[in-house]
Amino acid sequence: MRKSLPARVLVSIAGVLVALLFLFPTYWMFTTSLKTPGDVLSPKYDLIPTSATLSNFASALTKPGFVTYLTNSLIVTLGAVLAALVVGVLAAIPLARFRFRGRKGFLLLILVAQLAPLSALFIPMYLLMRDIGLLNTLPSLLLVYFATSLPFTVWMLYGFVNGIPYDLEEAAMIDGCSRVGAFRRVTLPLLGPGLVTTSVFSFITAWNEFLFALVFMRDQSKQTLPVWLSSFKTAFSIDWGGVMAASVIYAIPAVIFFLIVQRKLVSGMTAGAVKG
Amino acid sequence: MTATKDTPVPAGATPPAPAHVGAARKRGSGWFSERLMPYLLILPALAAVLVLLGWPTVQMLGISLRQLDLRELVTGKMVWIGFKNYTDVLSDPEFWAVALRTVLFTGALVAGTLLVALLIAVLMRHLNPVLRIFVQVSLVLAWAVPVIATTTVFQWIFDQQYGILNKTLDRLGFHSFIGYSWFSTGTSTLVVIGLLVLWQAVPFVAFTLYAGLIGVPREQYEAAGIDGAGPWQTFRAVSWPAIRPILTMVTFLSMLWDFNMFAQVWAIRQGGPDGASTTLAIMQYLKGIAGSHFGSAAAIATIMLVLLLLVTGRYVQLLVRTKDGEIA
Amino acid sequence: MKRWLKLAAGAAAITLATAGCAGSGGSENASSAGGAQDGKLTVWLMTGSAPDSLTAALNKEFEAAHPGVKVDYQIQQWNGIQQKLTTALASDTPPDVIEVGNTQTPAFAAQGVLADLSGDVNNLNGGQWLAGLKASGQYDGKTVGVPFYAANRVVMYRKDMFEQASITQPPTSNDEWLADIAKLKTKFGSDPQFQPLYMPGQNWYALSSFIWDNGGDIAKGEGKSFKSSLNTPEAKAGLEFYKKLVDTSGTTAPKDNDEATPQQAGIYAAGKVAMFIGTPNEVATAAKTDPGITAKTGAFPIPSKTPGQGAPVFLGGSNLLVPLNSKHQDLAKDYLKLLTSTKYMTQLAAGGYVPGTSTDLSALDKDPLGSVMAKASKNGHAMPTSPKWGEVESGQNPLKDMLTAYLTGKKTLDQAAADANTALDKIIGG
Repeated sequence: MRKSLPARVLVSIAGVLVALLFLFPTYWMFTTSLKTPGDVLSPKYDLIPTSATLSNFASALTKPGFVTYLTNSLIVTLGAVLAALVVGVLAAIPLARFRFRGRKGFLLLILVAQLAPLSALFIPMYLLMRDIGLLNTLPSLLLVYFATSLPFTVWMLYGFVNGIPYDLEEAAMIDGCSRVGAFRRVTLPLLGPGLVTTSVFSFITAWNEFLFALVFMRDQSKQTLPVWLSSFKTAFSIDWGGVMAASVIYAIPAVIFFLIVQRKLVSGMTAGAVKG
Repeated sequence: MTATKDTPVPAGATPPAPAHVGAARKRGSGWFSERLMPYLLILPALAAVLVLLGWPTVQMLGISLRQLDLRELVTGKMVWIGFKNYTDVLSDPEFWAVALRTVLFTGALVAGTLLVALLIAVLMRHLNPVLRIFVQVSLVLAWAVPVIATTTVFQWIFDQQYGILNKTLDRLGFHSFIGYSWFSTGTSTLVVIGLLVLWQAVPFVAFTLYAGLIGVPREQYEAAGIDGAGPWQTFRAVSWPAIRPILTMVTFLSMLWDFNMFAQVWAIRQGGPDGASTTLAIMQYLKGIAGSHFGSAAAIATIMLVLLLLVTGRYVQLLVRTKDGEIA
Repeated sequence: MKRWLKLAAGAAAITLATAGCAGSGGSENASSAGGAQDGKLTVWLMTGSAPDSLTAALNKEFEAAHPGVKVDYQIQQWNGIQQKLTTALASDTPPDVIEVGNTQTPAFAAQGVLADLSGDVNNLNGGQWLAGLKASGQYDGKTVGVPFYAANRVVMYRKDMFEQASITQPPTSNDEWLADIAKLKTKFGSDPQFQPLYMPGQNWYALSSFIWDNGGDIAKGEGKSFKSSLNTPEAKAGLEFYKKLVDTSGTTAPKDNDEATPQQAGIYAAGKVAMFIGTPNEVATAAKTDPGITAKTGAFPIPSKTPGQGAPVFLGGSNLLVPLNSKHQDLAKDYLKLLTSTKYMTQLAAGGYVPGTSTDLSALDKDPLGSVMAKASKNGHAMPTSPKWGEVESGQNPLKDMLTAYLTGKKTLDQAAADANTALDKIIGG
């Protein structure tokens, strides 16, 4: 589609505006991380920071245990995301491409499984983990994050597989591909964007989870980053500059993860040109 | 769909394991594998959901009929009290006001999220690559920032005295905003919470819709272009059908997330002032978790579940049905 | 399988442990007998409580006195601590010593999940326990909590500003306090950003002081039955004084928030504030922005309406508890005995806290601000010891809503007090 120059300019302006609007709170977090406690909220007009210090970052990074927490967070998060994607794709295929007895029931289950508020499940889940002896181990968290993102993953991927015209697969099968081959060569590449959004979502959800991590992991050495983040608060004070600096550091892996998978978004798009 | 050919797996291909099993069996008994394969494929997901989510949910239902305070939790004693937890909650006039508020708040949030996200998704499709990445990164940042930081930053931005918003409005000539309190009434508190949630929820929905949009094979757009369709007609004819199932899905998801949302509402004013921004999730925390009355917490959670089923019930039906298409 | 291994190892350790510390602690209740003792004493203290140097020395000394026992010391975060403790108490191996905030202690005590320490009070320096904390650790006539430490609020002031406004002595009564605020305002009022007293609308700790000072109380009662008393003339007098302070000072602090948002230490550090009500460690926070501010800061007790005496203050702090199903209760008591000894309490005082089990405040007196806090702590009050009080503080605090509604003029004094009274009764009444 070709657009006229004014239309393109308008679209670009809208894009910049949207980006700035969504950037602002992040920007504010970032500038706050450069402020001393006295400047965090001050009468000064400080839309553009008037002074900057890196001491918050220094104190955040030198807080004991950062690397351990980071490693733990990466293990449980990436593990849960991968597991959910694999199991999710497996379940999404038959849902979208087969008719079988119990299919509707399974769909309903997947939908309803997401309805229960997690905050009410933490006691039963704690008891479950206690009884199978997984408390205070990283797999317990991995399992919970996997389980909580799985219904969502299945459902999303099912939607994405469904959105890809079956004619394409059929055409490939006529060209001599097996059903599996056709799925792998035609649908899976087209599924790229779907896999990306779903995994980014699971990643961020698991990456941010606090309560289960706090309650399941008894030892400090097994805690994750969200718990570390709350350690800037003591009974009588909160080091807000430190919290913001830590939050900046903390958001970086999620952004890196996105930038890695983001290329898939583009390649998924070009894969759209696959001819049947 | 049933007219599958029994073609062997091409040499060198490494399909996913369970599918491979299915394909291999297919040679022997097409009917059997066709019947069995779907079950084998969904088995891991089914088992995980049943054990890790289903079982705790069943337990939650059981707990809602018990008195489960710290004492009972520690001693493991079972104290069954029937429906007392439920009658306690339902007889509280405040409950119904809170329930209504939660439903309205959820509705407004979901509508707002979808509208903004759809606009952004379409916008992303039309942006040049550099700007698109810029928008995408800004969205991911909004999404990736930890909740504790976001909620705090929003409180600061809206601070009565030193917040950058009031200071900026003052500079722009709206002097009445000097010392304006955004948290003095429940409604304006909910508006601020709504903005916060919108800011956090839109990125995911926008990305999902965007992924749905670019999943549409390009030639369909080209075909529409050749037919002389304008942008709006192209959207209606090509984009809309492609994203409609996804839109249905994210609507449903947004509904249940916004309905159950706790952290953001709690962080801003703990449901205040005077309880005027209390939602059901906050009520569940205040009446249940805060005092370690897990029976009450489970009862409120169950009521929330039922309410949510009622609100989304038609929707669940719609979802299952539209996806099934020809399957009655 | 692993559990069996653990049990076997535990059995080996139990023999070692009992052999090592034979005769220590009166084991009348013999709760540790038969437990899967693995020679590990798990201690959970809160972040920011005891300095690292203190716990290191303490654990070393304890392990030396108890061969074969290892102290598993874990620092806990305040966020979500209630859920963490609740679930940990329900686990197979709960921690053996825990620190719980004093306003949260009754909630745990009422549930009967704590070991009865009544018989050990004398062993734990019982004669010197801080009065304001002691009450929160007692329930149903039993002692379940040992005071750990406390801090209370005083008024921090800028000595140099007082001098320039020709105020020679810190105020010793409410009237003098108001007069001094007026003087400071006359002297520095030309600067629109100047505030004689920074006073956010929801500093309910300060409000509690004023209510107590006027002879009122937040709630009355004992054990399980409490009745809110915010609707009394005394409580209203406290509320009125709060407003008088805010109005006289003309503070620009938000009326819809407390002293933590924005953090008042940060505002104080900017140098346009002459006084604020807080704890001395907030000055340390301010010093991160302006290192010179510590030397310029003095403190005086929150004045009373009665000249010459300070107003009662809320003692915020922590208790030490032993979970009922701890498998090493005797060891835990030994640990408490060591921690409550004057030696370690003095180190705690040097860290800026009022020690819970020692009346020796000399270490605190070395700090000019700390000494004021220590003196004021003698008139320390506790929040109502209702098991549900924790829900008031962690949830929708009616005192905060009352202050905002009254100060902004949204409700009259009577209306605000009556509404808060009803709301508080809804939580703790009955």
